[in-house]
Amino acid sequence: MKLGYLRINQFRQFRQAVEIRKLDPGLNLFCGPNESGKSTIAAGIRAAFFERHRSSSVDDLRPWGDSGAAPEIELEFEHAGEAFRLKKRFLARKRCDLSIGEEILSGDEAEDRLAAMLGFQFPGRGASKSEYWGIPGLLWIEQGSGHELRSAVAFAGDHLKSVLGATLGEVTSSSGDEVLSHVEGELGELLTRTGKPRGRYREALEQVETLSQTLGDLDESVSRYQLQVDRLSELTAQQALDDVERPWEALRAQQAEAEAKYAQVQQLGELQSADEQALLKCRHHMQVVIEQLHGFQTQADELAERKSTRDVLHQQAEELAEQQLSTREALKQATTAYDLARAVDRASRQQAQRRGLELKRQTLSNQLVKLTSAFDQATALDATLQNQKRELAAVQLGDKKLERLQQLANALRDLEIRQQSIATVLEFDLDAEPRLILDGEVLSGKGERRLLQKTELHIKGIGKLTIAPGGQDLNELARQLDRAREQLAAELDAAQLDNIAQAVQRVEQTRALRTEINGNERMLELHAPQGVGTLQQELALLREQVRQVETELLAQPAGDLTTDVNQPDVAEQQLEQASVALREAELAERQLQERLIQCQQALHTAEHECRQLEARLASPQRQQQERDCNETLTVLRHEQAQLEQGLDNRAKLIETARPDILQQDIKRFQASAAQLQLTNQQRKEEIIRLQSQLQAQDADGLEERRGKTAAEYASQRRRMQQFEQRAGALSLLASLLHSKRQALTRQLQAPLQKHLNHYLQLLFPQAAVEVDENLVPGQLVRAGQERGDFDLLSFGAREQMGLISRLAYADLLKEAGRPTLIILDDALVHSDAQRFAQMKRILFDAAQRHQILLFSCHPAHWRDMGVPIREIDSLRC
Amino acid sequence: MPRFLHTADWQIGRQYERFGPEDGPVLAETRISTVERIARLANEQGVDAVLVAGDVFDAQTVSDRTIRRLFMAMQGYAGLWIMIPGNHDAALAESVWTRAERLGAIPDNVHVALQPGVLVFAEQHLAILAAPLTQRHTYIDLTEWFEHAETPPGLLRIGIAHGSVQGILAEDIDSPNPIAPDRAERANLDYLALGDWHGCKRIDARTWYSGTPEQDRFKSNGAGQLLDVSIERPGSEPQVTATAIGQFPWLQWHQQLDLPSDLDLFTEQLQQLVQPSVLSIALSGHLDLAGEQRLHQALSRAEAFHRYLEYDLQELRLYPTEADIGGLHADGYLGEVIEELRQAQQGDAAGTAREALVILSGLLRDRQGEEGAQ
Repeated sequence: MKLGYLRINQFRQFRQAVEIRKLDPGLNLFCGPNESGKSTIAAGIRAAFFERHRSSSVDDLRPWGDSGAAPEIELEFEHAGEAFRLKKRFLARKRCDLSIGEEILSGDEAEDRLAAMLGFQFPGRGASKSEYWGIPGLLWIEQGSGHELRSAVAFAGDHLKSVLGATLGEVTSSSGDEVLSHVEGELGELLTRTGKPRGRYREALEQVETLSQTLGDLDESVSRYQLQVDRLSELTAQQALDDVERPWEALRAQQAEAEAKYAQVQQLGELQSADEQALLKCRHHMQVVIEQLHGFQTQADELAERKSTRDVLHQQAEELAEQQLSTREALKQATTAYDLARAVDRASRQQAQRRGLELKRQTLSNQLVKLTSAFDQATALDATLQNQKRELAAVQLGDKKLERLQQLANALRDLEIRQQSIATVLEFDLDAEPRLILDGEVLSGKGERRLLQKTELHIKGIGKLTIAPGGQDLNELARQLDRAREQLAAELDAAQLDNIAQAVQRVEQTRALRTEINGNERMLELHAPQGVGTLQQELALLREQVRQVETELLAQPAGDLTTDVNQPDVAEQQLEQASVALREAELAERQLQERLIQCQQALHTAEHECRQLEARLASPQRQQQERDCNETLTVLRHEQAQLEQGLDNRAKLIETARPDILQQDIKRFQASAAQLQLTNQQRKEEIIRLQSQLQAQDADGLEERRGKTAAEYASQRRRMQQFEQRAGALSLLASLLHSKRQALTRQLQAPLQKHLNHYLQLLFPQAAVEVDENLVPGQLVRAGQERGDFDLLSFGAREQMGLISRLAYADLLKEAGRPTLIILDDALVHSDAQRFAQMKRILFDAAQRHQILLFSCHPAHWRDMGVPIREIDSLRC
Repeated sequence: MPRFLHTADWQIGRQYERFGPEDGPVLAETRISTVERIARLANEQGVDAVLVAGDVFDAQTVSDRTIRRLFMAMQGYAGLWIMIPGNHDAALAESVWTRAERLGAIPDNVHVALQPGVLVFAEQHLAILAAPLTQRHTYIDLTEWFEHAETPPGLLRIGIAHGSVQGILAEDIDSPNPIAPDRAERANLDYLALGDWHGCKRIDARTWYSGTPEQDRFKSNGAGQLLDVSIERPGSEPQVTATAIGQFPWLQWHQQLDLPSDLDLFTEQLQQLVQPSVLSIALSGHLDLAGEQRLHQALSRAEAFHRYLEYDLQELRLYPTEADIGGLHADGYLGEVIEELRQAQQGDAAGTAREALVILSGLLRDRQGEEGAQ
């Protein structure tokens, strides 16, 4: 559709006509300041198509305050090779004329033709509103509504689909949606949105439920009834049987029988206890008799026993008497043996005593010899000692004395040595006969003499020589010597010694004497420890003892000591044995004697008793008594046997009869009979009760009612199943229709998507947008950004997307051969420079296919669109 | 020559679940009117007696009204009626019979044998050996005593019993009450009138099941008849004639519809039924939409004519032809839906798919009708 000419007169802003000629088939730009009438031109075009010429609701089309105006619009356009010319006048002299080529249309017809061609509707009454604008409403964008896409698409929806559907040929269905809504309507009568039964379907379900319940109750009643009938039948049969058999009577008879038996048994019991008494008495009597007899028997036995005792005793006495003889003999022998043994013993003792004395005397003699010798020695020793001690006392010189002497001697010698050393030495060596005499001494041989004083030397034949030793101390020394000699001599003299040697000798003598004395004293001590006196006393004592023993020996009878008499201990032992034997023999003899006496006494007693007993037993009274007793016993024994037999038999009878069980039987039969009668009575009552119950129920026609209910139930069930089936079928149909329709919609979406993408790539490279079921762009997916819902985009973006979408619809419509005029009133005012530039490219591209009328108050923005910008004011005629 | 009618299994008071609250009571009512016809027939034929071999009533607890109505229906024949209880109306301690007696509903000419025993009707030359059921089920042969039963000489020995003849009938018959197959011969009976089997059946020359006089199930076997029995004299072979007496035949059809001519044949058969009946029809095979419409017309006609008609189309498939779809203007995706439903009839939910198809085609037809009207 290409608009070529437009004239608007007496229309809002334009009290005078405006005219636009030679519109470009592509982009046409109209500019002017605000209030200059840009939107009025767009409104004029809208009114020319959307408003009924005869509408009385379009007062607003008039210029303000000019109530007489007749708004008028004239349009010329070309579409599908046809030239269209539309002239429309409102409110006054209303008119609509349309020429399509040669064809002339007017009024509603003309308007409807245009509506069908462009895809919009007229309202039933009143002014047209956007919801009727259809496709033009989508493509002709009012000022400030470029971002409102969804509602515009919705208003165009049906037209779009049918228009687009036509391009898809046979795929679409002319009546599909209608059928679908019909199906959904019918389904809605049966099922709720959530698929639950409703309406008649639900009623049927409830009916089925109720009837099923009722049927169940009736079934239960029927079965209860049948059970009752069965029970009645059973009871009646039992009762009939009872009435015929009367089973309790049999039980009563059994009871009576048991009672009779029990009575019998009781009688037996009484008899039994009587017999038991009798038996007891009988036994007692028997006991007495037996005891009596036993007494008799005991006496006889006693006699026999006594007799036997007597005989035994007699025998014993004889035997003992015999024994006594041998015993006495043995006693005599034992006495003899004893005497002999005693004599031997005495002799042996005497001999032993003598021997003892002799031995003692010997011993004492020996002792005496020894002691005498010791005494002698001791006496000698004592004498020796006395002598020695006297000698010792005579010679005794102590070591100190000796030492003193020796000191003196030594001192003397020293003096002498000193003297001699100073003395004149006279050495001589003489031949032959000593002729020299020195101070009286004849010298011979060779020698030397020290001369201490004037010495005269006589030489025989020659004369005398006096030699006087010189030296200063010689005299002193000689005096000292003299004193020393005097001292020594005094000392020696005091000690009665001649010289020192003698002193030494005497010391030696003393020592030896002492040793001897010591030895002798020890010897003496050995021989007479207590001294010689004691020893002498001992010796005297011993001599006395010896004398006594010898006296005793003299007193002893002179036995023959040569005969070898038994040793005294042997003899004593033999004597002891003989004594024991004798004692035993004596004892045996005595005992035998005692026994004999006892025996004889017992024999005597036994004989006495025997005689007494014999006398008693032999008495006729006693014999009679015994006979009587025996007879009584025989009778009693018989009686007892009879009683016992009777008791035994009866006990067996009683035991067999089991009175305890009989008592139980009686109880049992009695209770059973009572129970049976009670049961019978109860049954009778139950029968009556059941009969009346059943009869009361009979009239109902229970099973007939059940049958009817069952029929109703089955019928309702069928009805319910029919609903179920219909609901199922409708659901299936609805879902199938839905899915097919959806598939179709998807097919329609595809080309739109294609066109949308064409523009979208110019605005947002690599972005993608999804078109939803209602052919509205849904989510926008841009590279590197989250997907965003169309409605959530910014105002500017929405406006841009809105324009793009409209252009895409236009492309689609063009492909379908539909008219596409695009009017943009003050579009894209919210776009930034960059987007705006892109949008201009898009618009320019779209203008290659569609005629676009663009109104703007910013002419500078649109200078680069390659088309002239028309000033609105310039359009005024 | 003694002559009597032998019938059984009246099942008075029987309710029919499958026929719903409208047709069921009518069919129940029919059983009483059949008794009226029996009475009329007996009267017209002037027979000596009517023997009813058990299951006179369908249940013990039928309503008093039903009891009275039955005996009133029998008034058309004033002659001898001889009845025994069967398993449905066994002579229990409390039974429909005790109640009928209490109600005083049983006329004098009706003899109900509630105990086993011989009933002598010298005038009619009949000695009846009755073996009523006194329990719902027994497992002993109640007719055994017939062999030792003495009857007056010169009278026909007629046994009447209710149960299943051993070894002859199918296993699934109504009751376990056994009857020896050679009872008539062994008990020297002239005739043994049996009940329990709802079809008419000859066991031997002297032993018969009369079947129910009014059919009550689709399995037929000659139901809806009674037996007209004449016996020359004791020992003679009975002459037995089966006479139709029932009002509504019960028919059960299974029809395969594959070719268009099959449908023609079926509608023709349906039209040829001149007696109002109880009909159960199960159809299988497939039809196009036009055929389906014709079928429904035929079924609707039959429904109006017959006492009762039920049909099962579960196994029937709808295969719309190109012409059908064209005719319905089922363009676009509706065509696809139709095709899909057609296919779905091969699957598990075939019935639902068929029903959906019927609905859819109905809607489209209606739409066309509207458009046509416009």
